[in-house]
Amino acid sequence: MLEQPDAADLLNTARDALLGKLLPALPAHLHYEARMIANAMAIAARAARVDAAALELRLANFADGPAAFAARIRAGGYEPGSPAYAGAAALLLDMTRLRCAVSAPKALL
Amino acid sequence: MDEVRRAALNAWLTGASGAAVEVTAASLLSGGAIQQNWALSVTRRGAPEEWVLRTDNAATLAVSLPRTAEYALLRAAHAEGVTVPEPLFCCEDTTIIGAPFFVMRRVAGMATGHRLAKAAAARGGDDALVRALGAELARIHRIRPPRADLPFLGTPPTDAGAAFVAAMRARLDDGATPRPAVEWGLAALARNLPPPLPPVLCHNDFRTGNLMVEAHAVTAVLDWEFAAWGDPHADLGWLCAPCWRFGNLALEAGGLGSRAALLEGYGPAADPSRLRFWELAASIRWAIIAADQGARHLSGVERSLELALTAHIIPELEMDILHQAEALDA
Repeated sequence: MLEQPDAADLLNTARDALLGKLLPALPAHLHYEARMIANAMAIAARAARVDAAALELRLANFADGPAAFAARIRAGGYEPGSPAYAGAAALLLDMTRLRCAVSAPKALL
Repeated sequence: MDEVRRAALNAWLTGASGAAVEVTAASLLSGGAIQQNWALSVTRRGAPEEWVLRTDNAATLAVSLPRTAEYALLRAAHAEGVTVPEPLFCCEDTTIIGAPFFVMRRVAGMATGHRLAKAAAARGGDDALVRALGAELARIHRIRPPRADLPFLGTPPTDAGAAFVAAMRARLDDGATPRPAVEWGLAALARNLPPPLPPVLCHNDFRTGNLMVEAHAVTAVLDWEFAAWGDPHADLGWLCAPCWRFGNLALEAGGLGSRAALLEGYGPAADPSRLRFWELAASIRWAIIAADQGARHLSGVERSLELALTAHIIPELEMDILHQAEALDA
């Protein structure tokens, strides 16, 4: 229904213009701000292309959502060596990978 | 700094130092999210001196100490032989420049984390520098309670590890965003508490970026606003945590040198077996600080792109936390 290019494409195209054309013309004291803007656009572009639905469903089935999962972890509900611990660790790793894919893809290298 | 404030500052500094002081130039240095640092060029009795004025930003983190407390810490550290800028004057009167401030002598050197890490990596690590950092930490940790000059630090925790876990859980609850990966790390800490040690003064932000360096030597340990009584290994772990290596993962002490050189510089009181606990604690603490900074943006207290982006550091820290928790439980 929506027109193309989509949000991620627009953000990436705008980011290229910012870094390629605007940044070299900016005075040095604005470079840090411009790089932060570019970073924010990159994160937003990656977020626009991520689908968290499958993991959210898995989390809902495993622990009734993030708040209940966090509370159960704090209550000591996952004893190292138990099957529940292994399941929780695997789910956390997949959730964290997805979060890194948006916020910090270098952490996945 | 406008003319009115500068005139008020001149008058106050003249009174505090007992000699005519005139600020001839004031420029804002690149400061942190919490405070402002001004480079002051002054004349005192007509002779030029270079100072730094440190004051609060409009919105301050509730967990950071006020400037007046930081000044008292600087004096205590200076007296103990820690390499810090010489503390000169402290002003609690908010009418002079709008907030309490203190003045210290300006020190030569560079603190920019990624530049120092790059320079260290270019020479395959700078173990001489890291040894010196270990020695600085050991001097800081000679400051022990009770201290009548540091009352704002409160009562030392009887078990710094357990107190850390409880404090971080309370901050997660205040933040109201469920963070299962951070909880996972805290649960690992709770299972692996090290036996308590007698408390010492912890700097609590002793890392690349807060250390002024010139020609491979430490010229100043900066940013004392998070100092507290605690386990000395909290500072060693903070410096060695993966998040403070600025990409030099193999240079475990702050991306600057080896962990072995840091411990050697620190001396025999360092217990390497406690580092794993405190390095995980460091990742957790930074994640929670980042969450608090992101919340300041989200709540509208201080809308800021820098704070907004700080929240996006959290997932990478969570990845560190998961790996570190697995290693601690192994």
